[in-house]
Amino acid sequence: MKIGEKKKEVVINLLSLVGFVLLWQIILILTREGIFSIPFIRLRDIPTPVETWHALIGSMFTRIYGPSLTYGIYNHVFASLERVIEGGIIAFIIGVPVGIGVGYSRIIGNIFNPIIEIVRNMPPMAWIPIAIFIFVSGGSIFIVFIGVVFPIILNTIQGVRSTDERLLDAARTLGASESKIVTKVIIPSAFPSIMTGLRIGLGVGWMAIVAAEMVIRSPVGLGYFIWNMGDLGRYSEMIAGMIVIGVIGYIMNISILLLQRRFIKWED
Amino acid sequence: MKNSVKKLFIVIFVIFSIFVAGCLQSNQTSENSAPINLVKMSGQEMIQKLGTGEIAGFIMWEPYPAIAVTKGLGKDLILSGKIWKDHPCCVIAYDEDWYKSTNNSDEILKRMALAQLKSVEYINNAKQSDSPDHEELINYTMQFGGMTDPAAANLSLADVEFVYNTNIPGTTTFIKNIQDFGIFDMGKWNQSGYKNASDYANSLVTNNYVDWAINNKDADFSGISLQEPVNVRYGYLINDIHELPFYIGWQKGYYKNLGINISIGEGAPFQNGAFEMQKGFKSNTIDIGSLGIPPVIIHRINSNDFSTDDARVGVIAGMNNEGSVIVVSNNITSLKDLSGKTVGYPGPGTIQHVLFLMAAEKEGLRVSN
Repeated sequence: MKIGEKKKEVVINLLSLVGFVLLWQIILILTREGIFSIPFIRLRDIPTPVETWHALIGSMFTRIYGPSLTYGIYNHVFASLERVIEGGIIAFIIGVPVGIGVGYSRIIGNIFNPIIEIVRNMPPMAWIPIAIFIFVSGGSIFIVFIGVVFPIILNTIQGVRSTDERLLDAARTLGASESKIVTKVIIPSAFPSIMTGLRIGLGVGWMAIVAAEMVIRSPVGLGYFIWNMGDLGRYSEMIAGMIVIGVIGYIMNISILLLQRRFIKWED
Repeated sequence: MKNSVKKLFIVIFVIFSIFVAGCLQSNQTSENSAPINLVKMSGQEMIQKLGTGEIAGFIMWEPYPAIAVTKGLGKDLILSGKIWKDHPCCVIAYDEDWYKSTNNSDEILKRMALAQLKSVEYINNAKQSDSPDHEELINYTMQFGGMTDPAAANLSLADVEFVYNTNIPGTTTFIKNIQDFGIFDMGKWNQSGYKNASDYANSLVTNNYVDWAINNKDADFSGISLQEPVNVRYGYLINDIHELPFYIGWQKGYYKNLGINISIGEGAPFQNGAFEMQKGFKSNTIDIGSLGIPPVIIHRINSNDFSTDDARVGVIAGMNNEGSVIVVSNNITSLKDLSGKTVGYPGPGTIQHVLFLMAAEKEGLRVSN
């Protein structure tokens, strides 16, 4: 892509964002002036972008009022990210070997496939009620694990199965052992696919963690923050928290994409 | 490729900075004594988690403290009357939109206050163990509180002081505390135009209806009943013994005999006062309801759209004073022992939230919420 075209794209992207914020402001001004309304929706209660911005800045860091310590958005981001990373790591450690096994060996595939096919269709949110009861702590990490592990398994299987037959034949012809074939041919070949699974999984995990934190009790976490602010009728802080969730999810996605490009040179 | 490596380093640098700053910040808070972590949960969860040791204690309305104590899962640490003697708690409030759109709203509210007065008189008499109505009261208490153990019902009744009077000075104190604890949305507070806590309390609470009820407390219901029965959509909190007078008035037909047909509003019983204010009064699904005075104070400011005043409510009578308890596991002996531990509460902006902060302030403790 030419540099000029890239710049043009960035400008259009930025204009789109600015346009969205402007539209948001205009709709709310019209609503508050009584010119615009949508039945059954209390648009008036939605804060304007300016109010949301002030709320974001005001609630970014921990505030102390007498005995009351209210954690900042920043602490909540940190807590949620920690859970997603922990859940993601566990999912990676379990998901990749399972995916390789299922993808490589027909027998292992036959053993695991029925379980994977049923369990992967249960959304992470469906696990929240049981997680509340069976986990003394770490229930939200488990929810992330459920969200991340299946995209990793499925993408690993796909990566393993799409290994170039010629490479496998070459390795066999040269007398490579089964374990060598897996570590030297299949894993490197499936790696881009595994990373794609991780990226998709972490996206799902990030969404799941926010839902889990709304239900599984913990004093910190973005889901908890949004719910708490709602209980206090502080809608600007709620929206600010939602925007932070979106931005962090975006940054996570981009970071893994960049990592993928950096480390998987052979994909280019 | 070079460009993407540069971007990657920027992203890693930003994440690293966040981590470092996070560590600095968390070190800063750990220098002081560790805060008590308040975590929102339902009353049932509080009892269950106290039993499994997942929480060190909870602050909740009766009957949950009484249930936990009678099951031997914990003990009373502080009754809310020890935090603030005779503090107001639940009240009866009406929706301002309903008030304006109903012709005889004043007459209805007078009779709501009278039914409350009668219920409180009944409870206070029947609370005595030698009263002929005592067993009936215990049955009502168990039904309303979702209890199966009469001992828990007796214990919960003992902790609650049932009232019908309004309490403007107590409301003022609550407003001041809510201001000091940073719970008000200051932008909304400025929009409200109230000069100070006392100004707000006087606008919120009215004594007229209780005064009428006191003057008519000995009158025969048939003589003062509304000529045309009206339907009132009522909201209340789930299994909250504080609101037992409402249940008594409903079951014993006080409202009905005064010409008021009670129907339970959509969404009721509510999980906490914040829900009742937002999903009940603000959403116009209830006309009259009972709930803690702090959610009323908070949401008439924070959740209100001041151009339509949709969350505006008025308080016409008290329900109870005191009646919340900090229950802890048996190894905890003081509030200080809860530092760094998790304590259940019914949610931000509830009376139990404000009372717990007040208790912590007395002891010089910090509470994360």
